[in-house]
Amino acid sequence: MIHSCAYTKPTNLEDAVSALHEENARVLAGGTDLLADMRGGIKKTDLVVDIKGIENLNVLSVDSDRGASIGAAVTLNALIESKKLKERYPVLPDAAFTIATYQLRNRATMVGNICNASPAADMAPPLYILGAKVLIAGRNGERSVPIDTFITGVKETILDKGEIVTRVEIPPLSKNSKMVFLKKQRIKGHDLATINIAGLADRGSQQLKICIGACAETPLLLEKTDELYREEKDIEKLAERIFELSLQSISPIDDIRSSAEYRRNMVRIYVNRVLQEICL
Amino acid sequence: MKKYSTHIIITVRVNGVPYRDRVPVHLTLLQFLRERLFLTGTKEGCDIGECGACTIIMDGKAVASCLILACEADGADIRTIEGEAKGGELTELQKAFIDYGAIQCGFCTPGMIMSAQNLLDMNPNPSREEIVEAIAGNLCRCTGYEPIIQAVEAVAHKRRRR
Repeated sequence: MIHSCAYTKPTNLEDAVSALHEENARVLAGGTDLLADMRGGIKKTDLVVDIKGIENLNVLSVDSDRGASIGAAVTLNALIESKKLKERYPVLPDAAFTIATYQLRNRATMVGNICNASPAADMAPPLYILGAKVLIAGRNGERSVPIDTFITGVKETILDKGEIVTRVEIPPLSKNSKMVFLKKQRIKGHDLATINIAGLADRGSQQLKICIGACAETPLLLEKTDELYREEKDIEKLAERIFELSLQSISPIDDIRSSAEYRRNMVRIYVNRVLQEICL
Repeated sequence: MKKYSTHIIITVRVNGVPYRDRVPVHLTLLQFLRERLFLTGTKEGCDIGECGACTIIMDGKAVASCLILACEADGADIRTIEGEAKGGELTELQKAFIDYGAIQCGFCTPGMIMSAQNLLDMNPNPSREEIVEAIAGNLCRCTGYEPIIQAVEAVAHKRRRR
């Protein structure tokens, strides 16, 4: 049972921002998290601001020179169906495909996934390794923040009252970069991540990015991986060193999906699997 | 909060029939179909988007109607299980469900039919893997899924032969 509330479907950002300044106003994009939260009484909601009527928020563009731009109303299935995105940034559709079910992905959005800011958000690790920027509109205009500062804690983001994410921008990449997203789940099919991980390697620029999810309050982009990548050419040894490095930052918990100890072991295995995919 | 309304007038087409109604914002599309239009073929299972019993086709896409507000459906074209059989004649897929014993208690069947029909509409020749993925969001506790997959495959095979 959802409690009585008001609804507005603005056609421009100014009206959306103004509505979001009302008390207990929430953004409605796909609604797959919001409606479940409203039903569970988790988030008191007095005003639902449906952003699907705002022009340009449903735009998904991929350009080899300028990178990609993914609007706040773009659904996960739209990501999966984009051939250009699959070609340039395969981690995004691959991660999207592991989320929920077909029916839900027809509504759920990538931006909603990161705004919900679950530590296990599957779209987060790919966006972290790609160096994505989150574009935010508010009363004082637009600002842009890197994804790893956007998510600030469990279900918490940098968004101020009245602010709304309009799109996520992904910088262009070297054609030689290899990337992968992997997810450990309890069952085949619909499940939240026990851990998830994304990696990106570029031999040319000697860059290695690894992001681990569901092992701390926020997804974690490991530091110093570039250095290790330059120093260590043996994949097994590199994997071990990166795992040891990750132990300094991960702080997994025991929960219904797994014990902390199991998560730590899975990090070791999945770091290795990721490197096997992208470092060859 | 005065300038924002808690009731919205919506216009929707359901199985080709236009409806206009004033709905409270908190009414889900599932509740609208069942309690306002009395189209009770669409089922409420978990009510949190996990079971797929409430699956309908909205603007050509299979969606969970329990996670959509009725007011979001303003202007939408909706298909429910009631619109599948025409003039008492079951669809190919519905007939195949009967032939393959893909129905036992029947509670998941309307949602299962809508998911599978949506797949066949977009992809007339799906692989077994694609069928499994398309119905992964529809839980069935009776059949073990195999007869359902066979029924969808049978429709695809029949079309291939034409």
